[in-house]
Amino acid sequence: MAELKKFLIRRLLTFVPTLIGATFIVFIIAVMIPGNPAQLWAGGIKASKQTVELLIKEYHLNSPWYVQYYYFMKNILSGKAISPVTNTNIWKSITTRLLQVTLPLTLFSFILIVAIGIPLGVLSAIKRNTWIDNVARAFALIGISTPIFGIAYILIFWLQPHGLVALAGMPLPKYKITGIPPIDALLKCDCHYLLIFVKRMWLPAFLLALAGIGVITRVTRNSFLDAMSSEYVVFMEARGFPKRRIYMHILKNSLTPVITILGLMFGGLLAGAPIIETIFGLPGLGRYLLQAIYNFDYLTLVAGVFFVAIIYITVNLLVDILYGVIDPRVRY
Amino acid sequence: MTELRCNDPIIEVHDLYVYFYTYAGVVRAIEGVSFCIERGETYCLVGETGCGKSVTSRALTKLILPPGRIEKGKVYYYPEPSRRIDILALSEEEVKKIRGNEITYIFQDPGTALDPLYTIGYQIAETMLVHGRIRRIKEGIPHAVELLRKTLIPDPERRVKAYPHELSGGMKQRAVIATALANNPKLVIADEPTTALDATVQAQIMELLRKLKKEEGLTILLITHNMGLVAEMCDRVAVMYAGTIVEEAPTEELFKNPLHPYTRLLLRAVPNPLRRMDKLESIPGTVPNLIYPPPGCRFHPRCPHAMDICREERPPEIWVNESHRVACHLYTGKASLPG
Repeated sequence: MAELKKFLIRRLLTFVPTLIGATFIVFIIAVMIPGNPAQLWAGGIKASKQTVELLIKEYHLNSPWYVQYYYFMKNILSGKAISPVTNTNIWKSITTRLLQVTLPLTLFSFILIVAIGIPLGVLSAIKRNTWIDNVARAFALIGISTPIFGIAYILIFWLQPHGLVALAGMPLPKYKITGIPPIDALLKCDCHYLLIFVKRMWLPAFLLALAGIGVITRVTRNSFLDAMSSEYVVFMEARGFPKRRIYMHILKNSLTPVITILGLMFGGLLAGAPIIETIFGLPGLGRYLLQAIYNFDYLTLVAGVFFVAIIYITVNLLVDILYGVIDPRVRY
Repeated sequence: MTELRCNDPIIEVHDLYVYFYTYAGVVRAIEGVSFCIERGETYCLVGETGCGKSVTSRALTKLILPPGRIEKGKVYYYPEPSRRIDILALSEEEVKKIRGNEITYIFQDPGTALDPLYTIGYQIAETMLVHGRIRRIKEGIPHAVELLRKTLIPDPERRVKAYPHELSGGMKQRAVIATALANNPKLVIADEPTTALDATVQAQIMELLRKLKKEEGLTILLITHNMGLVAEMCDRVAVMYAGTIVEEAPTEELFKNPLHPYTRLLLRAVPNPLRRMDKLESIPGTVPNLIYPPPGCRFHPRCPHAMDICREERPPEIWVNESHRVACHLYTGKASLPG
């Protein structure tokens, strides 16, 4: 346990530099792009000189980049930053979109990846070289190689007439505990809201998960087969273990690479969110950041990257801790 | 069918055939193996790598995984002298009740035989759990401590919580032996239990097996390629070559009076504990490919005494005295071994 504490402290120390690094790179790219942001923000060529002057002063646009970065970070972290384009509080508009839409969406698809990908991979390995295995592998291949926007429209076209998907609106529950609607509904046992949420979210979440399901199915299958040929499996047979118990041992042994990929995949889900949110008209962070790019609202963009980076780093930290939980040989 | 000579057998194997169906072809791993093990003795299967010792031992509890298959033969297990169980006729579920319970295994490499993700204690307790000796893993931990003490692991209270990677090779093998003893077995099959260990540790493990055999009243089937171990441990020996038993005799008799040409060459190839030797000789030729085994006697391509009949006919098993049998055409009828 002492080891874990030290490890966590070490990781927290690298947490801050990683965050600064991620935001810094995006910020620099945005600042270095030639053009006059103040002019753009004020409304283009017809903007009044006075407004442009005010914007330049407000956002320190004539100062060197590091001064700009300093003020930007200060305002973001104190929650006072205002977007020059939408005139709303950046912190607030990003966190609400993240918590209400993007995080539920990515968590939902993450759960789908784990709940479908791992069992499918195990089944595929146990029934290897049978038709079950072939079907599972074909499904995995299709999942990995089909672009989501293509399959999304086909599925919408097919399912929408049957009333199986809801395509508009993003209802929110009336109460607020954590700020993440489905989790709040779970805590309140509000099945009615959960049903609405699932109906709206299942297809976007599934499509976002599709590639991940394919990858996890294949990784689980191969890793499971590897573990299956270990000598300790024969030794368990030699001790008369029932099949189910042996499979549980094998599964635990084959989980390490699966968890590595799941951790990396979470970033991919966040990156895939803009496309899915755009297709399904979900008012999430991904779509919001896309809008920010169109509007050259790099302050919102960098702030968005900041939050995504926080989530990504946290997830990877969890993955590293999980390694140790699963495998006693791991030293922190 | 070969006649078996045991007074109180614990295991009888009649005319066993095991084939492996690989992509390269059908490997005829075991062909016509027959032997019996007396209750309470230490019986040895000895032979080169790949001669089918391990496969034979695993077939005793139907532990042949695909692509292997037991083609024919009988394995009788006698839990008590008067009760006979036809192992190969049992369903997988039924045989699992015997395997790991009454007949247990010790594997060659303790480094890979244990699941790396669970503690030693857990794995010992689990062995008891699946055979209904305990209801929960926790119940088994005190038993596991006792078993580790029995296998002479120092500080068993602490080791029971250790993971396999935290133990040395010898210690791991002791833990494996503890799992094999967990359910008070009648027959322990030790499949090259010391091959993966250092020489000094080997001696300790063999000493441990001997002690346990005496204390627990075990019957041991020892599989090895080490003639020294055979001389040290075994009451009776069967020499295997390319999937068949070529000779079987009480240990001392075999070392003093080896009859089969293979046994003779084998004894010249390893340091004989009973005789002074100036030079070790190797056996010319190589072990045959068991996908296309030589017709007749499987040893004839390497045999210095090969005759025409050896190429055509499988030699019968001949009892040359009360307890010594050999499968060689040299001993059919009048012929005596030249040289």
